[in-house]
Amino acid sequence: MELFLMTLITGIMVGGIYALVALGWVLIYKCSGVLNLAMGELTLIGAYVTLSFYEMGLPFILAVVCTLLVGIVLGFLTERIFLDKLIGEPILTVIMVTVGLSFFLKGLVEFIWGTDTKVFDPPIFSIKPITMGFLKVSPVYLWSFILAIVLLIIFVCFFKYTRWGLSMQATADDETAALSLGVSARFVYAAAWAIAFMSAGVGGALLGNINGINISVGHLGLLVLPAVVLGGLNSVPGAIVGGIIIGVLQNLSGSYLDQYFPGGVKEIVPYAFMAVFLLFKPYGLWGWERIERV
Amino acid sequence: MSSVWLPCGKYHQDYAHDQGWWQTPVIKGKMILLLATVFIGIPLLAPEYWVGVGTMVGYTAMGALGVQLLIGYTGLITLGHAAFIAVGAYTSTLLVLQYPWPPFIVRWGLAYPISIMAAGIVAGLWSVLFGLPSAKVKGFYLILTTIAAQFITVDFILTQYVSQIGGRGQAFSLPPGTIKIGPWTIDSEVKIYYVMAVLLTLVVIVMANLLRSRVGRAWVAIRDNDIAAEALGINIVWYKLLAFFVAGFIGGVAGAFWVSNTAALSPEHFPWFWSLWLVGVILIGGVGSIHGAIYGSMFMVVIMELLQLGVIPLAEYYPKLLIDFAYVKDMSFGLAICAFLIYEPNGLAYRWWQIKNYFNLWPFSY
Repeated sequence: MELFLMTLITGIMVGGIYALVALGWVLIYKCSGVLNLAMGELTLIGAYVTLSFYEMGLPFILAVVCTLLVGIVLGFLTERIFLDKLIGEPILTVIMVTVGLSFFLKGLVEFIWGTDTKVFDPPIFSIKPITMGFLKVSPVYLWSFILAIVLLIIFVCFFKYTRWGLSMQATADDETAALSLGVSARFVYAAAWAIAFMSAGVGGALLGNINGINISVGHLGLLVLPAVVLGGLNSVPGAIVGGIIIGVLQNLSGSYLDQYFPGGVKEIVPYAFMAVFLLFKPYGLWGWERIERV
Repeated sequence: MSSVWLPCGKYHQDYAHDQGWWQTPVIKGKMILLLATVFIGIPLLAPEYWVGVGTMVGYTAMGALGVQLLIGYTGLITLGHAAFIAVGAYTSTLLVLQYPWPPFIVRWGLAYPISIMAAGIVAGLWSVLFGLPSAKVKGFYLILTTIAAQFITVDFILTQYVSQIGGRGQAFSLPPGTIKIGPWTIDSEVKIYYVMAVLLTLVVIVMANLLRSRVGRAWVAIRDNDIAAEALGINIVWYKLLAFFVAGFIGGVAGAFWVSNTAALSPEHFPWFWSLWLVGVILIGGVGSIHGAIYGSMFMVVIMELLQLGVIPLAEYYPKLLIDFAYVKDMSFGLAICAFLIYEPNGLAYRWWQIKNYFNLWPFSY
């Protein structure tokens, strides 16, 4: 029972980070209908940029804030250089541009920072676990979770209550109508990419804090795909719930199934779950069901 | 089979002629010349290094043709094709190494050809398994199930279980002389090249014939509008799964061929990168044309080799370049995909079509 609770708590906390990355993903999908396969590379860049700021001597929180700024700039640049020209192109084209982008960014990261594993040095959080009753939680997880939740709330509020957020929602709902009401679609896409860059970057930084940063942090972007699908591709709360479910699922399978299927089961369970899940509920939990006719 | 420019006063008289392969003597001559170049010119005249590059082109083209069938002709976006190539490669290797063949089959050198067929079938069935969600979902959700196919197959099943068969650790290796086709042992670059050329030709013939048959027209109808296709009486689930089977089959054949080239096999040969690379190849070559897949693989492989050749002399002055080159290669591949999609979305096949038309319409070619 204790093991179960422990894995559950860890799962929820890691799930918070997944939710953060998944949120960026859903935002891009919602605003522009693009499946962004470069998400993993965005997390990678975020992690390395935070590390660089941290090594320059900034405190961690400040480094994260600077990463957010860099994320905005990179998001706008990406949109202006690559995606701007593709408004109105078939969807496969846009998806494949993000694949090309992911190759490019991955090569760039390897070129600049190399492939060795790097850690935050000196460590930001103490290794000593915080004890709450019989539960032991490592502070890294706890603080990451808190930071992730704070950012999630900020993003959701931005989306719901500010003028920019509302215009993004309008574009998501009906691009043509939004354009005719004076919403700039280009700006909205750019903003979506900037937010995605920011949330993915912070997710990468937090995860890099836990395990150390190397190129495999980029797998995080793929790992959130099941989370996003589970919640439904265009639902913000779905992304959060899906992220937490995937985190829990992964941790539970890691501690219970690993003895039956040695090695790697933790990495695979979300995908297997997703493939089966899609057979029964093809639009996820809260996705929009598309009604089609000739 | 796009429009063919016939000489003045000649018309297609029936459907068979309209769909024929070699419609004019000029086309027939061109194709014979092409086959002669592929089968006689390159292996005899080119240096061994470039024959090896040719083999690589053929392997890429075989993989890309499967992707082309799914993406270009049926509209089912797949990002996990390397998994099916891997399944084919492992099936073939395990059959050749572990299966207790009757002695006469080994003596006549039939084990490898049989294993190629078996690899195709197994990979095809495996591909159908992951194509099953396509009955209900499409678009993005289907992309995700194919990504799942990649990770479940390569990173889990092959790495954790299949690679352990026979207690070999992670990598299989085939002893020299194991791979035999009839009386020939496949052991030199030129022989591997011939295996590739024959297999690729067969795959192209099979695919071209499928595409101009009822099946192919059904696939194209599904790609263009699947609901309309269903309304026309096409059983879309059946045809989608058939597309997955044929694409998996071609991938499996490609994988089985790859074994004869490397004579060693490990899960690292089939990363997700390779799936994406294949999709990139058909995008650069041109979506929805068989020769597009081949142009794309020629372009990508040859350009990468040329880059490599260009780097080697530079490395004397800047030694770190050799290490960084792998990253630069990734970056340039990514940029190439982006640039093609933005500036030449129809790919090299379209450019080729334009060039052809220029000459066909000359002197009024504007």
